[in-house]
Amino acid sequence: MVYSAEEKALIGLSADGELDERERIALLRAAQNPANLFAEEKNIFRSVIKEGKDGVYNIDGAEFLRRTEAFLLKLERAGYFAVTLVSEDYPAALKQIPSPPLVLYGAGNRNLLKMRKFCIVGSRITPPWAEKQTKELSRALSQSFAIVTGFAEGGDLAAIEGALSGGNLICVLPLGLNGCYPAGHASVKERVRKNGLLLSEYPPDELLKKYNFHARNRILAGLAEGTLVVSARAKKSGALITANYAAEYGKDVFAFPYNLGSAQGSGCNELIKQGAYLVTEAQDILSCYGIKGAEKKQVVLTPSEEKVLNLLRESGEAHAAAIAERAGIPLYEALAVFSSLELKSLAVKTGGNRYSAL
Amino acid sequence: MIAKIICYTLNGLDGVPVEVETDVNKGIPAYEMVGLPDTAVKESKERVRSALKNSGLLFPLHKITVNFAPADIKKEGAAFDLAIAISLLKASEQLIGADVSGTVFLGELALNGDLRPVNGLLPILISAKGHGYSKFVIPQANAKEARYLGGAQIYAAKSLAQAVKHLRGEEIISPLQTAEFAVNANAKRSAADLAFVKGQPMARRALEIAVSGGHNLLMVGPPGTGKTMLARCLPTVMPDLTFDEALEITKIHSVAGTLGEEGIVCERPFRTPHHTATTVSMCGGGNKAVHPGEISLAHGGVLFLDELPEYKRSTLEALRQPLEDGVITIARSAGVVTYPARFMLCASMNPCPCGNYGSAELTCTCSPADIRRYRARVSGPLLDRIDLQVEVDSIGYDELTSTKQAENSASVKERVDGARGVQRERFRNSAVSTNAEMGERELREFCVLSEECDGVLRGAFEKMKLSARARARIIKVARTIADLDRSEDILPKHVYEAVSYRIYDKLG
Repeated sequence: MVYSAEEKALIGLSADGELDERERIALLRAAQNPANLFAEEKNIFRSVIKEGKDGVYNIDGAEFLRRTEAFLLKLERAGYFAVTLVSEDYPAALKQIPSPPLVLYGAGNRNLLKMRKFCIVGSRITPPWAEKQTKELSRALSQSFAIVTGFAEGGDLAAIEGALSGGNLICVLPLGLNGCYPAGHASVKERVRKNGLLLSEYPPDELLKKYNFHARNRILAGLAEGTLVVSARAKKSGALITANYAAEYGKDVFAFPYNLGSAQGSGCNELIKQGAYLVTEAQDILSCYGIKGAEKKQVVLTPSEEKVLNLLRESGEAHAAAIAERAGIPLYEALAVFSSLELKSLAVKTGGNRYSAL
Repeated sequence: MIAKIICYTLNGLDGVPVEVETDVNKGIPAYEMVGLPDTAVKESKERVRSALKNSGLLFPLHKITVNFAPADIKKEGAAFDLAIAISLLKASEQLIGADVSGTVFLGELALNGDLRPVNGLLPILISAKGHGYSKFVIPQANAKEARYLGGAQIYAAKSLAQAVKHLRGEEIISPLQTAEFAVNANAKRSAADLAFVKGQPMARRALEIAVSGGHNLLMVGPPGTGKTMLARCLPTVMPDLTFDEALEITKIHSVAGTLGEEGIVCERPFRTPHHTATTVSMCGGGNKAVHPGEISLAHGGVLFLDELPEYKRSTLEALRQPLEDGVITIARSAGVVTYPARFMLCASMNPCPCGNYGSAELTCTCSPADIRRYRARVSGPLLDRIDLQVEVDSIGYDELTSTKQAENSASVKERVDGARGVQRERFRNSAVSTNAEMGERELREFCVLSEECDGVLRGAFEKMKLSARARARIIKVARTIADLDRSEDILPKHVYEAVSYRIYDKLG
């Protein structure tokens, strides 16, 4: 990977753990062009960073260049790439937000950065039906968008699973690319790296800090044209923070509707109350962006499948035995029908022997 | 004079003949036992001494040597008492004229001379009969169990004195009448019946399929929804025992000493080991003797594991091999023993630690990590071996109090018997007897899938990411469903239904 001097300077700044965000900005201001940071004669570092850090941070342009080159070599060896604010494929949408990351480190399919993006987030505790719906919806949306999501269990994971097979998937991590949180998702991380794209604003070795989640959520919202919240509690929900960022940045916010009194979805209902779009199917989102969803594949259904599917659509989530009774067929035959509808992705089992149409 | 008496000891379910040789010599009075007797056998010295005295017989005041042959196997238990006593009497010439050479003596002695029952009598009798012995003297208390052995003269004695009188020809005991095996002689005792199970149409159907094809069953559902009750109904819909099956099951229970009043097992066993059970108690083993474990005691019946994830992981993993092979081979320093263990595994568990995952009314409060941890306690390979996984519904109050009569066990059993009949016909020339036992050969021969069915299965395989084993299991279940449907061929609807019973593959 070849980086220009400006890019290198930005990467060098971002990789330097000694600096904080304010100092980086100050350095860039003083240098006017980031490439000047490497200039021997000016020695911008000493002029900008004065008090307190004299003993610790006292380098000149040459030393900065040496450190940066060493870091780039490490990056290259790990198979990661870096996209900087001045790079040509830095996502334009992200430049619009108040504090865009200077550098995004990535692993996987870099071309996804150029695609249209849509963000799906959910809380860790997401009811089974919402997980299934999210999965199907993510699959459908991923034909037109790269799906942007976090990396948590529950809603995020469902979005990942839906989009992963198609490959249009971007996961933004709250820590360096070498780490994995939650630790149990190492295999998921590998699959995303292979099929999709992993992004992080932190250098690869950066460890997880509590406030990283907040910062990561601004990237999720910033990258995407819109954000769908599939589940969120009313308080202390990361998904809600992402939605708030999206609204702040002037992007569309969508949410699944929930039952009254459902704790797992009270945040979603709150969003809808405040004006978020209510989503029941992929087309609700696609039409917002003027996209006509892919024609539903014409699936040939047997008469009993047709009957059961219509009953399911009519009644919403329902117990298998109840549908069988209304369809007038024995339960065991209905089970076969449900199973076949499920394999054709027209219905899902939502737990407790209940089914719901998709 | 030297006397030789035949007795038997057990190695697993096989009886091994042991000759009890007694020599009474002149010399300083002594009483020696040789030939690898264990503590219980050595202690018989004192029992025999007292029993002889209290039966009005003489204990010889000479140098007595008792030898057990062959000398290289370990002799255990108290079943040798009677044989030792008789050989002592014979050697001390108190049984002149009595012919004891072809008779097998079994029984434990009480100090007053009464005969006490011994464990494992039926397997011993069966083996001994196979070895050509046809005369037996046994304790009266074992008579019920022994009645089922035809073609032998079995004399049941209450006490040593009675046995001696019989041998001397003073008071002949009449041989036992061979009993006719009556199926379900005590079926009335069973309180469980499917008629009492409210609702649960899905679980009922799964249960019917499971029993019809001998498949394993997992019920997943919130606490208190009737999982245990459903499981208890399993024996009531299982096919009646045949005499040979009953005999084999009785052998195991006789060895374990868990035989009931009837003397023969005429109902299919239903074993519910608690989740604190150790691997040894589950699979068999023991310090000295190798005892059959719960899985062998469940042979021919049901092993019910309530709250499956609560069992120790090592215990559950130990079930994998017997689930495949239908036998368990236990190696101990005492020897290697093989016990049959062909049982139907029925397990139940909650969907998550709080039990409300997937419930329509209640909210699950578990985090995904909690749920995963809970489910991970049951390993994938074990789940793979459970063909039918079904969710049990939570029941509303109205359903509980409704008086609508559900179908009873008897009518379900009729359908099960029908499906089993189809299987008997199908497997008449092969070693297996149920669909679940089918191997690769039988699958190829009897489960030919049409192109359409294959397409369905391929779709499921890809969508649900099934293992190769799971695929074979789905085909077996589909075969059973087709049998219940009295359909010669496996149709797509049968495959679809079979697929719907693999909820855990879908969740993964």
